Amino acid sequence: MAKKVAINIIAAAKVFAPKKIEDLEDKRIVPKMMLRRRLTRNAKIMLFIADRCGFGGGKIVYGSAFGELQSTVGITDAILNGTQISPTLFQNSVYNSAPSYFSLLNSDKDEIITISSGMKTSLAALKTAALQALTSKERVLCVATECLDIENIEEVNSCSAYLESGAGVILEIAEDEDGAVEIEALREEGVIGSLEALFSLVNMQEKKLCKVFIEL
Amino acid sequence: MKAFINEYASLSCAGDTEALMEAIYSKKSAISIDTSFMSDTPVGLGKMEYEDFFESLKSVVKRVLENSNLENFHKTLLIVGSSVGGMAESETHYFKDKNYKSIDPSRHAISVISDTLQDAFNFYDTRAISTACTSSANAFLLAKRLIAVGAYENVLVVGADALCYTTVCGFYALSVLSSKACTPFQEGREGMNVAEAIAAVLVQNEQQSDSIELCGVGASSDAYHMTNPDPEAGGAMSSMQNALDDAGLSAKEIDYVNAHGTGTQANDKVEGFGVETLFDNVYVSSTKAITGHTLGAAGALEAIISCEVIKQGLIPPQTNCKDLENSAINIPFESVKKDVNYVLSNSFAFGGNNTSVIFGGLK
Repeated sequence: MAKKVAINIIAAAKVFAPKKIEDLEDKRIVPKMMLRRRLTRNAKIMLFIADRCGFGGGKIVYGSAFGELQSTVGITDAILNGTQISPTLFQNSVYNSAPSYFSLLNSDKDEIITISSGMKTSLAALKTAALQALTSKERVLCVATECLDIENIEEVNSCSAYLESGAGVILEIAEDEDGAVEIEALREEGVIGSLEALFSLVNMQEKKLCKVFIEL
Repeated sequence: MKAFINEYASLSCAGDTEALMEAIYSKKSAISIDTSFMSDTPVGLGKMEYEDFFESLKSVVKRVLENSNLENFHKTLLIVGSSVGGMAESETHYFKDKNYKSIDPSRHAISVISDTLQDAFNFYDTRAISTACTSSANAFLLAKRLIAVGAYENVLVVGADALCYTTVCGFYALSVLSSKACTPFQEGREGMNVAEAIAAVLVQNEQQSDSIELCGVGASSDAYHMTNPDPEAGGAMSSMQNALDDAGLSAKEIDYVNAHGTGTQANDKVEGFGVETLFDNVYVSSTKAITGHTLGAAGALEAIISCEVIKQGLIPPQTNCKDLENSAINIPFESVKKDVNYVLSNSFAFGGNNTSVIFGGLK
């Protein structure tokens, strides 16, 4: 078994909707229209969660199993139809787009790691965030989002009732392990499995279970 | 706890590691001119020879296991770095069917690389990183830290990316593709070559007779632009300095910088300026003139090149460069024989994501 550490959950937030999440407060969070117009849906959700957690900058571990599907679909459709690919779509298609927009918006020059480990994505992101907190002795934002809201997604989506979802925590290494508990399976019914560990952690925090063991 | 690189294997358009180093030192680019991705527009690409990318992936990893001191990977953490995962397979289905029905979501995602290797080798645990072109460089960042804190004794870093329409046509849309083999650091260079590769590197906490030390890792964000690098090279210099600090080295102790050196106007200008500012006449060259830009696999592939440079004591020459844009950086035009103690390898990515890794020889 790999080393375990106890983390404190400092802040937590979650958001999800069957299709499009309606009010992500992007006009307040991203006042500059030019930048706001370029944001992907994952970026808007990620920024909303970071804002809800009160995170202004520092190390970020971001997770997404399927990344920027809307951009990817736009590119493949353009290729299929022989039309020009939008440069903005291509630059937005990388998996680290969302935290990169956070970095741009907040002039955050710290480390960003993006994890994409399938249905284990948010757990792997949590393990990575705990490592980053352990080695830097800093607080780390760990956030994961999924945006599956593309046309005809029902052709491949059989696992999620919510096409947009995200959860995040700010964590730090606890000074001791007293009272620390294992992650409880407090999943949100219908939310995609890739976000299960982070949703569980957010729900634990709501139950005042804020000291948790993470295996690195 | 120190981290040591004890085994590795690779496959790129230049062949296996031995063929790759031979191509680098003999300045024979493995880039081919291709019209299969864009019929009206010839572009230089780094294409591998394989029947099945995932079989090649397993074969490269199997080679590492067979040559290592491990019987299996059951107590090893796998960290994959990839920028496109299973995109090529999804494209095949979508372009043929014009719907998603035949696409298996689990084979579309980045994690198809780690899942394929998990099924074949049964690792203790797996993780997949996707930070575009720094993906597998960031895998080293995590590997070093995990070993340093005693979380794992063995970490296998795998960088893997296959060519696909999305990346080839996407980079073309950004007007950064070269129609011929790329010419890093050359004045008036045309652009980059998209390429594919598989590279696997075993990082362990125990030193062996031919180990290379994974001495330092550093990362940063530009916070400047989604695709253009900070023209003042703030992010690039910060990641290089962070790696130096992590290794406990000064800039003058680095013998060679394996540049990100994609061959685009923006990257090479900024990276050259960063190297010029931070170092004092260090040798620097880009091996992407041989391999092309292997995207998420580049960090791992160029880690292997860096290890070989140290073992062979031979600085790689810059291929495809006659007239330097920046004459203040020390680009060797022929191989240079010298004792190489430390190599710094750069990887930079969309989103202003920068990672530098330092490798050291053991005396």
